[in-house]
Amino acid sequence: MARKSKTSAKPGGFVSTTVEIEGRTETRIVEMPAFEPAAWDDKAELGIVGARVPRMDAPERVTGRARYTADITRPGMLHAVILRSTIPRGTIRTIDLTRAAKMPGVFDVMGPGDTPAGTRLFAREISYAGQPIAAVCAENERAAQNAADAIAVEYDTLPFVVTFEQAAAKDAPKARAKGNMMENAPLVMNRGDIESGLKAADIIVRREYRTPVQLHTALEPHGAAAEWDGDRVTVWESTQGIFRTRENVAKALGVPLSKVRVIKDYMGGGFGAKNGAGPHTYVAAVFAKRVGRAVRCLNDREAEQTDSGNRPSSVQRVTIGAKKDGTLTAIFASIDVPLGISGWEGGPGQIYHEMYACPNVRTEETFAYVNVSGMAAFRGPGYVEGAFGLEGAMNALATELKLDPLALRKKNFTKREPRQGRPYSGNNLLACYKEGAEAFGWSSEDRSPKSENRIRIGRGLAAQVWPTGGGPPAYALVRMNSDATIDVLAGTQDLGTGARTVLSQLAAESLGAKLSDVRAIIGDTESLPYTGNSWGSMTTASVGPAVRMAAEDARSQLFEAAAAMLDAKPGDLESRDSRIVVRDTDRSMTFADVTKKLGNVMIIGKGSRGPNPADTAIMTFGVQFAEVEVDIETGVVRVLRIVAAHDAGRIINPTLAESQLEGGIIQGLGYAMFEERVLDHSLGIVMNSTMHDYKIPTMADIPRIDAFFVGGADPVANHTGARGIAEPPVIPTAPAIAAAVANAIGVEISEIPLTPWRVLAALEKKR
Amino acid sequence: MRLTVNGRVHELDPAPAVTLLELLRDRLSLTGTKLVCDRGECGACTVQLDGEIVYSCLTLAAACEGADVLTVEGLATDGKEPSLAPLQRAFIAKDAAQCGFCTPGQLIAANALLARNANPTDDEIRAGMSGNLCRCGTYPKILEAIRAVAAGEFELKPEARKPEAGAARGS
Ligand code: FES
Ligand code: FES
Repeated sequence: MARKSKTSAKPGGFVSTTVEIEGRTETRIVEMPAFEPAAWDDKAELGIVGARVPRMDAPERVTGRARYTADITRPGMLHAVILRSTIPRGTIRTIDLTRAAKMPGVFDVMGPGDTPAGTRLFAREISYAGQPIAAVCAENERAAQNAADAIAVEYDTLPFVVTFEQAAAKDAPKARAKGNMMENAPLVMNRGDIESGLKAADIIVRREYRTPVQLHTALEPHGAAAEWDGDRVTVWESTQGIFRTRENVAKALGVPLSKVRVIKDYMGGGFGAKNGAGPHTYVAAVFAKRVGRAVRCLNDREAEQTDSGNRPSSVQRVTIGAKKDGTLTAIFASIDVPLGISGWEGGPGQIYHEMYACPNVRTEETFAYVNVSGMAAFRGPGYVEGAFGLEGAMNALATELKLDPLALRKKNFTKREPRQGRPYSGNNLLACYKEGAEAFGWSSEDRSPKSENRIRIGRGLAAQVWPTGGGPPAYALVRMNSDATIDVLAGTQDLGTGARTVLSQLAAESLGAKLSDVRAIIGDTESLPYTGNSWGSMTTASVGPAVRMAAEDARSQLFEAAAAMLDAKPGDLESRDSRIVVRDTDRSMTFADVTKKLGNVMIIGKGSRGPNPADTAIMTFGVQFAEVEVDIETGVVRVLRIVAAHDAGRIINPTLAESQLEGGIIQGLGYAMFEERVLDHSLGIVMNSTMHDYKIPTMADIPRIDAFFVGGADPVANHTGARGIAEPPVIPTAPAIAAAVANAIGVEISEIPLTPWRVLAALEKKR
Repeated sequence: MRLTVNGRVHELDPAPAVTLLELLRDRLSLTGTKLVCDRGECGACTVQLDGEIVYSCLTLAAACEGADVLTVEGLATDGKEPSLAPLQRAFIAKDAAQCGFCTPGQLIAANALLARNANPTDDEIRAGMSGNLCRCGTYPKILEAIRAVAAGEFELKPEARKPEAGAARGS
């Protein structure tokens, strides 16, 4: 099961490989690792990998000792506050900073004209409400805020667009100088021929689906602290990518990479919105330079909810053609997405092409710029929105054909990745369907118990696919100290995902060390080797193999050293629990015996992430079943139960992985039930920027959740056998809940969130 | 003014507008308690004030004269030896903290809940904890952890969790 690479490049040579990030495919030239550990398949005897080890940094998190960026203080540190525009479009006619500059405790003020080269901060042209227009640096946050409040601004307002329809209208005001539509609109992805596919269909289902803007709402806001030492700057940032932040800062400030250090220890959630430096970073770094003191700049909650990214809304017009037996003949979707003032094509289209075997699929996505803060990747970007349309339409098709929606999915299961016909590294989706249905007690008939009461029960399901192969580049070092404790060094980040624990488990397993002797050191660009952002469910599958290789390298060095001491050949040695044994003898010594003899002669293992297997699709799959009750008099929906079955290859720590599943499901439940950013269309501002008005789930909203993994190791994907899991569980939750509600009330609902009035409106239609 | 925090007595002079949260974080460097919404909506800043839970972001420091405050940093004072409280051990064992940013508030809210009601039903736990938001979605695990502590799995001694008991240590 060794991985095949396109070329037969030798260790040290370079090959080209593809990496899928959040649904985008990138080609990379990578170095072949010096050696390739044998892949751990299902027969590999592993003790620490796969064990339910408690999260290793949990003690810090439950004692208040964990230091987050928001907790960083430095001697003499000052605080910065950003003033933001209150209008969506126009120009600043006058802005008076002089009063603010003279307020007590104020050290420095910046506004239009002080734009740090390399940033777009403090532009006079306003293109969304919430755009930074000035900043104040003071001895504490209160003084900075008071001074910011004292800045008088006068605007010349201009007409603006905040909806897709407004942006697309003839003679619409321009959100961006270049126009309101993303270049080359629409983005078309096509295989086969839709027309002939629809002609071949016995039945055609047409529906329109709408999804809301969802806000990340990480509890720790975006924030940074910066401190200069001569021409070197250190930045503490709450980020999913320390190296990307370093690159952003170096570029914006015109400083060489070697003079920027980015540190991130603990982080209070990211969910896709914290992938690099932002205005708060530049404000902190520039003030710190100008004032000569450390400066911290944290978003307040309003800035966090209105200008730190979001999952954009969508309208998806879906047409599905199928044979009587459910065989799909055509899938077509025309999709509109208003991105905000900036963004990328992380659109709903992809999943339409990847979920099912269907010869004819076409999506046309139009992305518009509007005068609202820009979108950012949000857990499962595009796929979450797309699944609501695709899976909604599949459920509608099942209803029209009077087929079991589960049978419909099985019928259209694809053995190969349907876009390019690549084989999967592994695919246990059918087993997910089976085991999920069993756990839920799904029956093909009579899903909605007949009831004449006002409380109706309904059941529904939806499936999911997401690219999770990870890939290079990622590097790691494993270092043995003279007391045989082990440091794992990798420049990655733990967002609350458990990366520290998982990487320690991989290192301990590979070395034959006690887990308690291993510590993962992450989150510092200056002292740690490069790894990429923690996005796209990639960290375990990208960094994990590098850590395993580094640990294997360290072990062979350790065995070399021990062989002489034990009068044996390195090949005859085995290790477990930090003890080296000469096979079939009673001769042994502990790691500490060896390292003590070595003193400060250090064993340092080096590892890197090799290329992905050529022409292979690496995906995580799953299905979720939902049971709800609906009060048909009030329209109130209560989710009673979610069963989730996902296949993500080898699970390195089932406890932590299940936490990820539950977390994804709960965010999906919020998206289905009540999360929705509301805009005032006449003012162009966000109406619900508080946590009271923008509702995320509370403990009282949580149903019974039974989330588990199906299938085993995926040794084709990489030599640890693990794929990614962070994003997949959020993808099918909302369409599964919507299907259950439709089942309960006997009428489809094609728009979320499922607020009571929306449910009542649907019931009204039925009457 | 005099304030007892986690059993330690402090003589402080907060400005009138300073909140208890600011006092704890900025003046006493107890950064375990978090600021998230700054308006009583999320529970991240929850502390116990004379045993009752309060949102410290909405509590003026000057109004706390003579009070006993318990924060997450004060939970781990079990008897004489500093060690983790049952709730903390349960949170670790049940994986009830992902990013951990909400965790200090959750722990204090749970601590107060169990002090009020040593044997809560699941619905009572849900109701009692619904003022503490968690974006990572650790709720099922928090529920399990509280349930387990209530069942004695982690040796809950409610009397050891009260701020007065902590106060003895500081004197
Ligand atoms: S920070 Fe006090 S309740 Fe949110
Ligand atoms: S653990 Fe992250 S917010 Fe609760």
